[in-house]
Amino acid sequence: MSTYEVRAEVTGSVWKIVTEVGQSVGAGDTIMIVESMKMEIPVIAEDGGRVEAFKVEEGAPVAEGQVVAVMAP
Amino acid sequence: MKTSAMQRSAPAQAEAGWQPEVDELNRRRALAEKLGGPEAVSRHHDAGRKTIRERVDGLVDSGSFREIGKLTGQGRYEKDGRLADVVPAPYVMGLASIDGRPVAVGGEDFTVRGGTSWSGDRKKGGQGGFVEDMAYQYRIPLVNLIDGSGGSVTSITRRGHAVFPGVHGFERSVALLGVVPVVSAVLGTAAGGPAGRAILSHWSVMVRGTSQVFAAGPPVVQRSLGQKLDKEELGGSRLAVDRAGTIDNAAASEEDCFALIRRFLSYMPQNVWELPPAVPCDDPVDRAEPALLDIVPRDRRKPYDMRRLVRMVMDRDSIFEIQPTFGKAVITSLARLNGKVVGVIANNPMFYGGAMDVKAARKQIHFIELCDCFHIPLVFFVDVPGFMVGKEAEEAATLRAGMRAVYAALQATVPIFTVVVGKCYGMAGMATTDKNGLDFKVAWPSAEWGSLPIEGGVAAAFRREIAQAADPVAREREIEAELKAVASPFRTAEAFGVEDIIDPRETRAHLCRLVDTVQGRLRISLGPKPKYGVGP
Repeated sequence: MSTYEVRAEVTGSVWKIVTEVGQSVGAGDTIMIVESMKMEIPVIAEDGGRVEAFKVEEGAPVAEGQVVAVMAP
Repeated sequence: MKTSAMQRSAPAQAEAGWQPEVDELNRRRALAEKLGGPEAVSRHHDAGRKTIRERVDGLVDSGSFREIGKLTGQGRYEKDGRLADVVPAPYVMGLASIDGRPVAVGGEDFTVRGGTSWSGDRKKGGQGGFVEDMAYQYRIPLVNLIDGSGGSVTSITRRGHAVFPGVHGFERSVALLGVVPVVSAVLGTAAGGPAGRAILSHWSVMVRGTSQVFAAGPPVVQRSLGQKLDKEELGGSRLAVDRAGTIDNAAASEEDCFALIRRFLSYMPQNVWELPPAVPCDDPVDRAEPALLDIVPRDRRKPYDMRRLVRMVMDRDSIFEIQPTFGKAVITSLARLNGKVVGVIANNPMFYGGAMDVKAARKQIHFIELCDCFHIPLVFFVDVPGFMVGKEAEEAATLRAGMRAVYAALQATVPIFTVVVGKCYGMAGMATTDKNGLDFKVAWPSAEWGSLPIEGGVAAAFRREIAQAADPVAREREIEAELKAVASPFRTAEAFGVEDIIDPRETRAHLCRLVDTVQGRLRISLGPKPKYGVGP
């Protein structure tokens, strides 16, 4: 498995990054939370892996489909 | 002069009865089996696709296919009139059964001239044609196995004139939509007419990786717009299913596709004069899932898994989701309650808090129309903050699409049961009950409703009072808290503004009871639904 990009499913702003670079997570785990429509929408690492980089910081606006993190196997 | 006539006149065969002709019949049948010939079939297989005959066999009950028009095609004859060969017509169709119920099934044979249209005395299928007439006249479901690119400019030379659009039109395809279930599977590359035919269905499916669908393919797009795209980019399932919702569901393989078609049809009646098939239910109607009590978080900002909620209420393993990857703010599923078919519409708080956008509205409208047409009661699980807001949403005409969803719900005459589990606000909330019917809605204790949510609404309505307060932020919170206490669902229940509040664990028993109750009413209101008015 090569690296893969995690995208925000919704437009909103990054409310909280709940993982750290280098951290390993399981498939389906939440890596950050985007606030949208007054709700805390989890951003999920579908295949799990190690967080290689974040492409956004807390408080930043994100658009639907925007890459927010890169995961490594 | 044809072979059969010559043989009949030969004295040596006078005693043979019609055996020579039956031999010829069998030879012609065998020639039809070879489709476009071994080379074309093997090229088709190499592309990861099945032939039309393999597709029919993979779909229908074993041995149930009774082909019609197997002898059609272009005969080639020797000088003495004996049959040399037949190139079969590029469309195979007939009667079959799926789970013991009759269906009409047909599809293009891509191995013969790429499944392009063919003209005999009578059309076999495609748009219009015998297979559609049969489904219409016999009132049985139609399954289109689509694999063809429609018309070709070469037909102008063949015919000596250009055909006016609609000579072989969609009038029968459209009429079918009000009468019998129509399923379309796109199994190859569908452009033009066959692509249009795919859309004129109650439910459509395509295969990831090997199917594409578009109004026009890459060569036309490059010529018209200069865009260089391959056919997967232009019309693969990632675009056509996930992003555009042109086709409803995607299957992992052709086998998976056939399983999905059988599954879809298992929820459908044979026609609009029958009720959808009920099945025996071994899941207790009063099963009360403990996890329902706390699935909706007290913290309003936290979303939850609406699919899990729906699963806990419906008959075990009875859910079939329509358009699972498109218009994600709403979840639409066929399911069963005490063995009877229902259509479930549930808001998805994980996607924009469940706010209705244009895609969700389109999905909900089609699903309401589908269920209304086939007399399938609707169940709403409501957690909707309203229409989607923002400049992009306005530009996409969310208001118009959303009001069309309201219009569709108010035109439906099938019973609608409403369970408000969370937010029910505004016009999107209004589209979740049967105002023309009993308008029977129950709520969970976690429900909240109104014209618009209190947060945000307070800032607008009490602007002056908040601004003049010593501590404006604190005053806003104070007013919010006061209003929230009064907005409790129990207060609305006191006024009979909501007919009941139920323990979430009672939801299954409540809905099973209602679905059982309306079976008699459904039986006496069967038939086609009239169409009237102008949708917004």
